Amino acid sequence: MNVREWALITFTILAQMSVGSFIVLGIVHYFVGKKAGEQQADELSDRALLAIGPVLALGMAASLLHLGNPLNAYKAVTNLGTSWLSREIFFGVLFAVAGAAFAVMQWKKIATFQVRNVIAMVAAGIGIALVYSMSMVYMMPTRPGWNLITTPVSFFATTLLLGVLAMGAAFVANYWYVQSKNPGCASEQCVLLRDSLRWIAISSIVLLGFQFVVLPLSIALMAASGATESAAMFVGEYGALFALRLVLVFLGAGVLGIFVYREAQSAGHERMMSVLAYGAFAFVLVGEIVGRFLFYATATHFGLQ
Amino acid sequence: MKRKNWAPGGGKKELRGKDEWVRISWDEALTLVANEIIRIQAKYGNKSIFVSGGSEIGRALTLFGGYVPSYGTTSGGSIHATKTTILGYTGYVNAMMSDRMDHRKTTLFVHWGLNSISSSGGNPTYNHLQNKKNGAKIIAIDPYYTDAAQVLADEWIPIRPNTDHAMVLGMAYTLITADDPKPNPLIDWDFLNRCTLGFDKDHMPTGADPKENFKDYVLGTYDGTPKTPEWASAICGIDAARIRSLALEIAKTKNVGLGMSSATARQQNSDSWTQMFYTFGAMSGHIGKPGSFTADGYYHQNFSGLRCLVDIVQPGSSGLPSVGANPVEEKAADVWTALPQVPGTRLCESWMWKAIADGKYQAVKGQWRDLNIQMIYHGGGAKLQTVDGMSDGIAAHRKVEFVVSQSQILTTNSKYADIVLPVTTPWERDGGMVIAGNREFGLIWGQQVTKPLFEAKDDLWIAAEIGKRLGVDATKIAPLSNAQLVYNQIVGSKVLKDDGKTTEPLVTISDNDVKSLAEAGVVVKPQAGRVALAKFQELGFYQVPRKPGDNFEVVALKAFREDPVKNPLPNKSGKLDIHSKTLADIIESRGWSTIKPIPAYNPAQEGYEATFKDFKAKVKGEYPLQLYTIHYYRRSHSVFDNILTLRRAFPHEFFMNPIDAQARGIQHGDIVLIRSRHGKTIRPVSLTERILPGVVTLPHGAWVEMDEASGIDKAGADNIINGTVPTGQGTSGWNTCNVQVEKYTGSIELKPDYQWPQRIPIKEA
Amino acid sequence: MAKQLGFHINSSVCANCKACQVACQDKNNLPAAIRWRRVVLYGGGGWVEKDGRWMPNGVFSYSVSFACMHCENPLCVQACPTGALMKRADGVVLINQDQCVGCRYCEWACPYGAPQFNEAKGVMTKCNFCEDLLAQGQNPACVDACPMRAIEYGDIAELRAKYGTLAEVEPLPSASITLPHAVVTPHRNAQASGTGTGKIMNLPEEL
Repeated sequence: MNVREWALITFTILAQMSVGSFIVLGIVHYFVGKKAGEQQADELSDRALLAIGPVLALGMAASLLHLGNPLNAYKAVTNLGTSWLSREIFFGVLFAVAGAAFAVMQWKKIATFQVRNVIAMVAAGIGIALVYSMSMVYMMPTRPGWNLITTPVSFFATTLLLGVLAMGAAFVANYWYVQSKNPGCASEQCVLLRDSLRWIAISSIVLLGFQFVVLPLSIALMAASGATESAAMFVGEYGALFALRLVLVFLGAGVLGIFVYREAQSAGHERMMSVLAYGAFAFVLVGEIVGRFLFYATATHFGLQ
Repeated sequence: MKRKNWAPGGGKKELRGKDEWVRISWDEALTLVANEIIRIQAKYGNKSIFVSGGSEIGRALTLFGGYVPSYGTTSGGSIHATKTTILGYTGYVNAMMSDRMDHRKTTLFVHWGLNSISSSGGNPTYNHLQNKKNGAKIIAIDPYYTDAAQVLADEWIPIRPNTDHAMVLGMAYTLITADDPKPNPLIDWDFLNRCTLGFDKDHMPTGADPKENFKDYVLGTYDGTPKTPEWASAICGIDAARIRSLALEIAKTKNVGLGMSSATARQQNSDSWTQMFYTFGAMSGHIGKPGSFTADGYYHQNFSGLRCLVDIVQPGSSGLPSVGANPVEEKAADVWTALPQVPGTRLCESWMWKAIADGKYQAVKGQWRDLNIQMIYHGGGAKLQTVDGMSDGIAAHRKVEFVVSQSQILTTNSKYADIVLPVTTPWERDGGMVIAGNREFGLIWGQQVTKPLFEAKDDLWIAAEIGKRLGVDATKIAPLSNAQLVYNQIVGSKVLKDDGKTTEPLVTISDNDVKSLAEAGVVVKPQAGRVALAKFQELGFYQVPRKPGDNFEVVALKAFREDPVKNPLPNKSGKLDIHSKTLADIIESRGWSTIKPIPAYNPAQEGYEATFKDFKAKVKGEYPLQLYTIHYYRRSHSVFDNILTLRRAFPHEFFMNPIDAQARGIQHGDIVLIRSRHGKTIRPVSLTERILPGVVTLPHGAWVEMDEASGIDKAGADNIINGTVPTGQGTSGWNTCNVQVEKYTGSIELKPDYQWPQRIPIKEA
Repeated sequence: MAKQLGFHINSSVCANCKACQVACQDKNNLPAAIRWRRVVLYGGGGWVEKDGRWMPNGVFSYSVSFACMHCENPLCVQACPTGALMKRADGVVLINQDQCVGCRYCEWACPYGAPQFNEAKGVMTKCNFCEDLLAQGQNPACVDACPMRAIEYGDIAELRAKYGTLAEVEPLPSASITLPHAVVTPHRNAQASGTGTGKIMNLPEEL
């Protein structure tokens, strides 16, 4: 593992977390808005929205570190016709622009709710295209460990899982911020927070279940499709790390998810609920980083290298 | 350049090989060298000055009262004395090899230890491909499935190193016992009876004991040990059935080429092996007939042998006059035929470092004389690197008061020196002739392509300048310019006419050539020749076009076979000596080991048998593996080891069979520690099925890098592993060594060779 | 289509000497780490013991020289995000280093290890078919360096007519991935790509 691969790990994880967060935030905002009105929804999610931008920017900055000649980086969008890497960069930039545009409009309340909604959906669509392009970068006949349907599927699973739990953590942070600034508003927000966290907990448990189907499936596919060396590494050389990754995600999304759900059912457990939400996010983030590390570390090359 | 801590008299001698370097002027360097020669000669005498060889410094030192030289078997191994005695041709002369066009008639080639692709100049492998196109079959007998075998061999018969002799004895036994003149004639009795001495009791040389004949030795008539294929098999490791069938295949095939490489003779105690090989060639009927040959020494003239008989292109002489005999060397005898060896001060290479370090040498058998070498002068070459027993060599270099070395790069000779004098290559001066081609491509004119790099000077200039400072007549050292020497060779070169008998000058020298060369200070006379001088200069070489059936074709020893009385061999008896008391006496006189007059098998000191603590009970000893040293593409001997792209291409790995590795818990690519009785080295190991289990190989020529703390060489230098074990004629037995191998667990971090810093002692500011 | 350049590799006579590899580095001033042309040694087989003696059982080896195959379906060109890699009209795949961003994506895409990263310059490098020599009517350096005359170049259609269409022996990858502009004359012991019983015998640091 070298700087170059850490750059890729950082970039893909952060970019996927940004896209996932953006989508999750949009969904939460929509339902909260329906239930409690636009103002309460904004109060819950606007600050979280602003956190997404820096995360994406950090990821994109990290991606530059994997380039031998970053001065030419701007040229990297010129081969959209055949290069998934070009497309990835293209959609990455586009997502940043659309997301930023939406964030500014949302923050400053520019244009109507409906217009902003359309822009948010466009940005989310671009985000989905970004994650898809990102996964297609790795779909090459010469990289049999990657060239599997499970690559895009797991990228999307990561996107949503990190998105869900990152937003859970962001809502909690936002709640304590709101409470310190304006305790009067907090009781309403507290209810919304508990509602959101319950759904977040349910989603993360569902996604966890999904992950636990996809991960073994991907190894089985590797073994069946000429990437036996990669598959072997998951159980051999990197067996311990792979187990750690499973345990972390299981603890974060599963066990802590259940506790978050339980604590969020009734008022008065905000402190415990917050710790659990932060913990779930941290566990899953580390688990996903380990997972991405394994993704690169177990890649084998088909042919001569 | 001068070693930083050097001072006249030695100056921290123990730092040789690891000191820093200081750049000094030529005048200072030459004066320092000359003053030390004068001081050492005055204090210890001329017998304290050792010249390892190379270049022209010997001319200056001969005029100054002489120096101690060395002699060695080097590339030819034990072929030298054996062949000179039993056939009359010296070791490097491939007189037994028929012309390559004659090989087109050969249908079976059997090669003992021949890797033609990486061990020979020219392109013998290409030649062999032509033979294969004609349907010839090639059998490779070798411990390693060589690169040549990969391309050429129809069959590979793996054999333990140093046991070819036993194998061929088993083959001889097969023919002797199965031969029946009428229904099953296998032995060429006609040739044996007319052209050889000693095969059976009825054809013994005068005065020899009839019981000491070869046939009865093979049958075990008197020693009780018949040399059956089963007996041979237990030693050489080849299935007895294959030994038997190969013998019959060779005897029953009309046109066979039997070849042994010198590698099979660069072995301890192998003095009888060449004789055995020729004996088998004689009895199986493959000497002196069209399409058949028996030949040793696949050298630079590969498959176009016969240099000494008829070269199609014959290079001229440089005309550099001799400065006379070296007064210290009491008689400049031919070391291979001298009998009894004339006592002289001349060090046997496979003992010389020990002789210098211990202060004693054996002049002839039992005559140990005191020796006090206080100065080593490397005129060139790479003796410290390429002679067996390098650990003794390093000790010798750290003992004497003064070491000088001339080289282009920081060779190992120079690394352990006090003063290094940079010399030019032919490409930095007026060129030079490479007289090492095959017989139809005798001459390559290496021409100047650059001015001398940095401050490099010519060998002759250095010798003359040191001579001046020694007070001898420098005009005798360098009486001719370099250019004159080169043109003498060119002008004197001859080429055979199409009749294959008469010669003409190779190069035409016109009046204009005479004039323009005169302006450059070169004196030549006009002459008519095959090609114009300018054309030859442009080409850089001259190649005679060949075709089958031309007049240049020669069948080696054909005349000898036809009439051995009229056309005797140039040895004492005029016949092929299967019994040679002379050879046995020569070996005896050297004092290292003894042999029989007939080719009896002698196990090597560090051969297969020596890998056992108890050979009969098959209990292995402390060094259970046989190591031998292959030639390696990365370099020619030790030259080119400084070149990173070559280091990258060839990592100087140690080769081992996976079966031996598994027994030691060793994986492909591991760093392993190789230990012999003489030294230790570490290398990455390549596990390969291409090598016989029980045998390992370390390529020849890596530049030593001692880790002084552990005494381990990091570079895999073959001569750290190979020790000082002189046998027979003083043979350097590079292919005979017992080792043990284990996974290296010490603290030295071994990076791939191409990531090592190059040996560049002083960087241009 | 215009003439398409390709290589013929005669593995049956390749003696593993790597003169092609070193000549390429020399001609193109490549650092030791970068080899546009390489030679891989493939082999295997086993040994059986009989009465304390070892007998080879199908031991074999052969060498294959390989470089950029100037493929018909150059995955590297498709992958390159900047268009620095291109396939010229004569079939030669070239890299324009001024355009290269150094993302090494082409390195992942190529099954022949042809694009190689220059650490010092931060950009990719690859075999350029000695285009400068070709322009002067000379042969690529590797072709002239081979003592066994085992490398030939020319119009791939002509080479195929002369030597057949085989472009895959172990350890080369299946030709179906990129459709290499190369023809291989197999060694007598060659094994088909993907079905080999041997292994690459070189040390990792060597290849």
